[in-house]
Amino acid sequence: MRGYRLREEGAGARGAEVRRRRRPWGRLGLRSRVTVTFGLGALALSATMAGLTYFTARQFILNERQTAILRQAYVNASLARTSLRSADLNVTQLLDSLDTLPGSLSVLERGGEWYATSISVGENAIPLRLRTMVLSGAPATQHFVLGGTPEMVVGLPIPSVNAAYFEVFSLDELARTLRILALALAGAALVTTIAGAVIGRWASGRTLRPLAQVSRAAETIAGGRLGTRLVAVGDPDLSALASSFNHMTDALQERIEHEVRFTSDVSHELRSPLTTLVTALGVLESHRDEIPERSRHALDLLTAELRRFRRLVDDLLEISRVDTGSAELSLEEVEVGELARHAAAAGGAGDVPVEVDPAVLGVRLLVDKRRIERVVTNLVANAAQYAGGATRVAVEPAPGAVRLVVADRGPGVLLAERERIFERFYRGHSAGQRGATEGSGLGLSLVAEHVRLHGGRVWVESDTEGENRFVVELPVSGDGRAGDDDAAGETAPETTVSLAGPGDEVAPPRPEAHTP
Amino acid sequence: MSSRILLVEDDERIRASMRLALEDEGYDVDEAASGESGLERFTDQPADVVLIDIMLPGMDGFECCRQLRRSSAVPVIMVTARTDTHDVVAGLEAGADDYVTKPFVAKELAARIRALLRRSRSTDDPSVLSFGDVEVRPDEGAVRRGGEEVHCTRTEFRLLCELAANPGKVLSREQLLDRVWGYDYFGDGRLVDVHIRRLRTKIEPDPANPRHILTVRGMGYKLAV
Repeated sequence: MRGYRLREEGAGARGAEVRRRRRPWGRLGLRSRVTVTFGLGALALSATMAGLTYFTARQFILNERQTAILRQAYVNASLARTSLRSADLNVTQLLDSLDTLPGSLSVLERGGEWYATSISVGENAIPLRLRTMVLSGAPATQHFVLGGTPEMVVGLPIPSVNAAYFEVFSLDELARTLRILALALAGAALVTTIAGAVIGRWASGRTLRPLAQVSRAAETIAGGRLGTRLVAVGDPDLSALASSFNHMTDALQERIEHEVRFTSDVSHELRSPLTTLVTALGVLESHRDEIPERSRHALDLLTAELRRFRRLVDDLLEISRVDTGSAELSLEEVEVGELARHAAAAGGAGDVPVEVDPAVLGVRLLVDKRRIERVVTNLVANAAQYAGGATRVAVEPAPGAVRLVVADRGPGVLLAERERIFERFYRGHSAGQRGATEGSGLGLSLVAEHVRLHGGRVWVESDTEGENRFVVELPVSGDGRAGDDDAAGETAPETTVSLAGPGDEVAPPRPEAHTP
Repeated sequence: MSSRILLVEDDERIRASMRLALEDEGYDVDEAASGESGLERFTDQPADVVLIDIMLPGMDGFECCRQLRRSSAVPVIMVTARTDTHDVVAGLEAGADDYVTKPFVAKELAARIRALLRRSRSTDDPSVLSFGDVEVRPDEGAVRRGGEEVHCTRTEFRLLCELAANPGKVLSREQLLDRVWGYDYFGDGRLVDVHIRRLRTKIEPDPANPRHILTVRGMGYKLAV
């Protein structure tokens, strides 16, 4: 059986080449190949069986028939001989009195005269070679076709009365029987083939089910839930697969966590010196009147850069928390318009108008206030930095959701960059225009992460009138699950995927218990 | 007389910079480099507000706060390097009234301190608020349950007063944060939740099944008489 082709990094080009050279057979899926193989196997087997059955049966039936025919011909010939010898009997009457099988005809030759029981058959009905052989004194049989039907003729010389007896038997019925047999056998072979293919498909489906589960587990892991593991249910073959899969995931998780912990530790370690810096600069700031002009300018530079540095550390920490999955949502129900107004104000966009669509007035969202505030703040800051400032913040209705829109009238985002600007540290075409920037390069990616944690989406669009809109769509929660004693958020629980063998019952994987 | 602030922080430079900033705001600043020495200093010379860093060598900030609470209702602000739920909630459960996250801006910290001091000196309302077997006396700053005095921190007391002054009315977390802590919209709801929990253990007969301080799902809290 074909298996996986192990490929290490760097062998990509060769892998592609191998893929191109594959034969058409290789292009079929594993399951289709098993199905076809099972079908072909069943076909070969059933065809052989049918063939053997047919030829054995045919041989047997033919032999039986031939024996019967010969016996009757001999009986009739000796009857004819007795009759011809004893009396000057009318030959036609004699032929009529002979006991014949249905469908058989008798022909008698005596002294060059030919007699027959039917006018349709006469001397000419009998093949010439047989006629010659019999008339020269040798008994013979021959198969031939007369008027489209298979016939068998038996010729017996009766030398004692100078005559020869021929009997022509129709094999039409026999041929029909064999034809029906052949048809039945072919039908059976066809059914067997189809059954084989069906069984192949079913069996391969059962066999491949654990693989489907592995693939589902892998997808779950790729989706960020590193705690997912396979549980083999009592099958030694599958246990091996499960344990090596889990081993791989363990190693992977460890490495990722190590890296993320490092980022988190670095951010934490930076906090102590940052605290001193921020506090000490704050003191200097409050005494700026006592500072000479040039030093004041230097102080401003320090303050601005420190603010950016602080933001970078905050963002790094925030993102590492999202990465470890330890980001916990403190969900609270808030009125969406109020949320937008406060967030816009906190984002330093105090003079930016906040427009709340009447359709969403009073709509309450179950969100982590701090994070959504951060989303709006970051979008406003982004607009301030790259688009000359936000022109408005709007709250709009959407089916089953609410949209928070931060609009600007800047140069807009190139189509090709509309997805990429949400990547970490991505600098778009406008990177060169960065003046005194406050950004950490993580702002928009944090927006994307926070929105994702809330089960929403974010995108950027432009209209023909030159307005660019960053749109955050948040689902409106169905149930009001807020106000619990501890508003401590939810974390993604560890998931296990049962790796069940073909015979085992499979428990459905636990539903995504991420965020509302 | 200016208010005294005790600063329990192991990082010498942070301590020095905070002293500068807080002195600029008009406070007297006392320092301690560890939890143990912090407790000693507080016994020698009580402060009006105590700032405790969570990450301390030896006795950590949580333990320091717990020990302080045994003898005093002084307002405590936890200084944390993490905003993770665990640290914040653990700090509040240890008895802290509020928290700030490093790196903080001195002006923010000063605002938090001011809010706490304002609260500790308030109340001249002579009326007695009572529900069940609980009696709240805002003028005395005392709470009695079945005639016996219940020891509350000042924040717990203010929170109880707010609830008791509005019996049967639902107060949202934001309202409580605003009225008790002086926070605007962006205060941390966990402050309210943990303080409510602490209050329940003090005045409810069965804190797991509260009869007086009720949670109203999706809305906030209310006091049932």
